[in-house]
Amino acid sequence: MRKLGFILFIVLTYCFQAAAQISGSDELGVGLRFQKTEQLYWENGVGLDYTSDLLLHKHIHLKMSYATSRIGSAMIGNALKQDNYLIGADWRFRSQKDFQIFAGLNTGFFHADMESTAFNVLPHNSMLFSLETGLFYKFKFIPMATNLSVGYNLINGDGVSKPGTLFPVYYQLSVFYYIGKK
Amino acid sequence: MKKNTLYIALLAISGLLISCNPTPDITNDMLDSGQISYAITDSLQKHLVSEYLSNPTTQQKNTPVIIAAHGYTATTFEWDELRHYADSAKTFYVSQVLLGGHGRSYAEFKKATWEDWQGSIKDEYIKLSNLGFTKIYLAGSSTGGPLVINLLKTNFFANYTKPKGIFLVDPIIVSSNKTLTMVGLLGTVLGYTTVELSTGEAGKWYIYRPQETLKQLMSLINITRLDLEKGITLPVGTSMKVYKSQTDDVADPISSLMIYKGMKTSTGGKIDVQLVDSKIHVFTRLSGREGVTAHDRTMQHNTFKEMETKMKQ
Repeated sequence: MRKLGFILFIVLTYCFQAAAQISGSDELGVGLRFQKTEQLYWENGVGLDYTSDLLLHKHIHLKMSYATSRIGSAMIGNALKQDNYLIGADWRFRSQKDFQIFAGLNTGFFHADMESTAFNVLPHNSMLFSLETGLFYKFKFIPMATNLSVGYNLINGDGVSKPGTLFPVYYQLSVFYYIGKK
Repeated sequence: MKKNTLYIALLAISGLLISCNPTPDITNDMLDSGQISYAITDSLQKHLVSEYLSNPTTQQKNTPVIIAAHGYTATTFEWDELRHYADSAKTFYVSQVLLGGHGRSYAEFKKATWEDWQGSIKDEYIKLSNLGFTKIYLAGSSTGGPLVINLLKTNFFANYTKPKGIFLVDPIIVSSNKTLTMVGLLGTVLGYTTVELSTGEAGKWYIYRPQETLKQLMSLINITRLDLEKGITLPVGTSMKVYKSQTDDVADPISSLMIYKGMKTSTGGKIDVQLVDSKIHVFTRLSGREGVTAHDRTMQHNTFKEMETKMKQ
């Protein structure tokens, strides 16, 4: 878990360095992610959004995020501590407009902290694979954007081999600040 | 042209919603038919301690009694084997409550809320407390688990004899079938779901699960999960033991960790949770199942024996 956090930190640092060198057509957004799973936890975190003219004239966006209940439901109660590490790609319709619609695929890694060794026999790690669709809005006068989407985890808990708190439907709201843009 | 397409789409959606939620094909040999009722007086007198020991002696009042609550769609049958064990051991009684809306008919089940399901546990507890029983225990299997936890959360026992202990077997806080989490979105389209029963189970469980009751189940387990996240403390002098099958395709085993984290003893200590080497949901009910092994029987016996031992302490 700590290793993954470290890797994410390295990736984020690299992205910031890359952002300092991005060309005029590149867009790199960094921001916050607020995620609510249907009938389960709030899991919040950070995210990245990158596109370029090279990616089919910005129709394709690459993204990365980390969301955890540690800064969500588990902060204020006995909710399980769990982490979602995601990378993905979206297809943006109306990619040159302020208001866009998108659909994409994500994959990544899920980990739930069992907190007591007695429960480590239960499944608590899983690959993530999800479909996501939603709306994206780019603000006119500030280098910021927001998106609101619904996702469906194709891999979810079954009581046998997958983590029990990996639920199918989630909603997320992200807010990005675009580095180097005015 | 666009308007016509919109009208057609609206008509198709309306048709879909109307055609869904049909009445299932119920035959007289099904519990759903209402022809086999567990709610009749004879059955209640046989299963409830408050009925068959309505005038208890001092010795009977001081004998431990377990109020055993079954799971969603089940009947008192789910705790028959513990009753047989108790009848043989003669060291405790088992009062098998029939949850509200259960063991009656599809129509009765469809209109019952989870508070109705819980009502019969409350009724029996009040009766036994008023009759003077001093060592009252509660046992909940599957959905019986969150129903009992809710009684603790709502401080139901404040005005009655405090329970000496609580036993939960495969309590459900998270369903293994995650489609249940979408019942609020898909319920109307689903109408009802169906389960397969073995020959030995036929007539003892409902086969059809109306979407209204699935929503009630989801509501109950979601409320219980949130209550556990806030924390629940047991009354002074009440113990809790949770038995949970390690592999369970009905009640996700993660439910046990949620209870472990959410429940505390009156002194702030941890409760006792045991992950059982079993793949059976409600591993204490083996009657009517197919493919039961010697290991399953050992796990069942060991659990009943431990419950008996704890009640002697």
